[in-house]
Amino acid sequence: MLSDILQTAFIVSLFSGMIRIATPLIFAAIGELVTERSGVLNLGVEGAILTGAFVGFTVAYHSGSLWLGVIAALIAGGIIGFLMVFLSTTLEVDQTVTGLTINLLAAGITFYIYRLQFKSVGSSNLPNLPIFEVWKIPLLSQIPFLGEIVFSQYALTYISFLLVPLVWFFLYRTKHGLILRSIGENPRAIDMKGVNIHLYQYLAVIFGSMMAAVGGAFLTLSSAGLFVPAIAGGRGWIAIALVIFGDWKPVPIFLGALFFGFLDSFQQQIQGIGIQFPYQILLALPYILVIIALIVGHRRAGAPISLGISYHRE
Amino acid sequence: MRYKLEKRPVQNPWLQTLAVFIGLAAALGVSCLLIISAGANVGEALTAIFNGSFGDWDALAETLVQATPLIFCGMAIVIAFRARVWNIGAEGQFFAGAMVAILVAMNLSFLPRPLLIFAIILGAMVGGAIWGGIPGFLKARFNANEIITTVMMNYIIMFFLSYLLSSVWREPGHFFLQTARIPGAAQLPVVASGTRLHFGFILSLISGLFAYLLLWKTPLGYEIRAVGINPVAAQYKGISIKKITILTMIISGAIAGLAGGSEVTGLHFRLRLDISTGYGYTGIIIALLGRLHPVGVIIAAIFFGALVNGSTSMQIITGVPVALVYCVEAIVLIFVLSADIISRYRIRRVRDVK
Repeated sequence: MLSDILQTAFIVSLFSGMIRIATPLIFAAIGELVTERSGVLNLGVEGAILTGAFVGFTVAYHSGSLWLGVIAALIAGGIIGFLMVFLSTTLEVDQTVTGLTINLLAAGITFYIYRLQFKSVGSSNLPNLPIFEVWKIPLLSQIPFLGEIVFSQYALTYISFLLVPLVWFFLYRTKHGLILRSIGENPRAIDMKGVNIHLYQYLAVIFGSMMAAVGGAFLTLSSAGLFVPAIAGGRGWIAIALVIFGDWKPVPIFLGALFFGFLDSFQQQIQGIGIQFPYQILLALPYILVIIALIVGHRRAGAPISLGISYHRE
Repeated sequence: MRYKLEKRPVQNPWLQTLAVFIGLAAALGVSCLLIISAGANVGEALTAIFNGSFGDWDALAETLVQATPLIFCGMAIVIAFRARVWNIGAEGQFFAGAMVAILVAMNLSFLPRPLLIFAIILGAMVGGAIWGGIPGFLKARFNANEIITTVMMNYIIMFFLSYLLSSVWREPGHFFLQTARIPGAAQLPVVASGTRLHFGFILSLISGLFAYLLLWKTPLGYEIRAVGINPVAAQYKGISIKKITILTMIISGAIAGLAGGSEVTGLHFRLRLDISTGYGYTGIIIALLGRLHPVGVIIAAIFFGALVNGSTSMQIITGVPVALVYCVEAIVLIFVLSADIISRYRIRRVRDVK
């Protein structure tokens, strides 16, 4: 058994799986980071992932173009984000309530349209499509070990990795990033300076939701190749937990997503080599881990001060 | 003279009610569009829903059967949300209750029937209370966000149940993941003969009465509402927010657990993974539509129970998928929440001051 674990193939698929599993989490959590930095707590991430997964799959299935699916997922995510921010900032509906409602709406609509499109579908003949191919980066993918693990991934995975430094640069090295962070801390002071607060919040929430939707499209177009109503599998909630665990900072959030991907990948590999252990308990591990992460991370102080409080102009 | 939009100092309850109707009307409009997009006749579909849910006594009884778990879960959410404790885990607590109820039904069936039923009800509540109490404790002790922990607890219990159903609880010699049928003595009695309407419905109404009395007639209920309205002020008055958080999660969990116990011993008589179609989540919609009030919850739950029940006839007659219901539920809530703005603002004519 131990020799199995030490084999090269095992290690490569363990770490390669880690990166693959982390991809949708990176998209969703980094998107949620930008959103929360603007002071809006978007709990509709799960719904945005589900919407992206569904729209991405449906458009790719009918058009035959996977990239068109990704673009459609982006647009759908933007619409979901717009709804979220419109309800919570313009109409001042409680942010928690809005986020929960968005999730229920996404679940209802995707399930309904899926049923309309594929009426006589059972669990044995789910419609599916050929997924993206792995994109081996020339030269780099030739490096032993590292090449197979890091540089033989899907295009969306590379994009998710690029997103981390980009968002970091935006938040900490640009004027707009500074304004965005300040809005999350003290919107009144920024409003006094004549900044259109709602504009920043709209853009931040829409961006976050679009990223979550791309994460969802990754699930159907780079991973499963099919859509099931439970495909988001709590990843939206895990992403929100990662933002807390990562103390609202891009790099720790990224590392948290990788750590999470590692444990999930490890769990899958263990199942693969057939260790006698109830697989349901292994499947529950990621969710138990999130709870542990929240307990461990309870002293985090990086939360934007105005997070979750809708700004009302006097 | 000009017009000014300003916030009302207090929300007008009549306008809040009006907002519900405006929301419902708008949602009806969108729902009709969805039915049309499915290529069906709107009138036919709506008639089918109505006849299927209120057409005769049998249909009405079945509507109440469908409403029962929704009433329980709605009440569970009301108690938690009144304290602004966001219990999204009613789904998991439902299954925790169902599991303990099954455990009692399978192992204590030698008890006299009234005692056995009582033990089942108590067991279901204890199961839900434990599953709800854990996130409550984690929130109070570690400030672990209860929204996320309760959602995680929903997943965890489903995997745990799936494990039990595939091993120790599996009905011997059967392929499906389900327990054996519970003995007749452990089944909740039917309250309207010839229908499936069972004692659980009565229990759900009692849970509503309990929620009302708790929230408005007891010191604890006063504290729950005080924390929900203004936690800082409540703390100044000496109310322990941690205590309220844990207690509301335990009570909320117990009611959600009772929903699970009622479904499993009143309707299905065995435990499977699919005995809930997301009642815990629908409970959130129902609680919010019912304005976090027990009477509102009962009305909203019967309305949605009717939709679920009637949609089956709709699917048979017009071919529109039952899944329409889950859409409609969320759309109704979105419109009602949006329309609520009319109860919070007013337009006033003001004179320009020179």
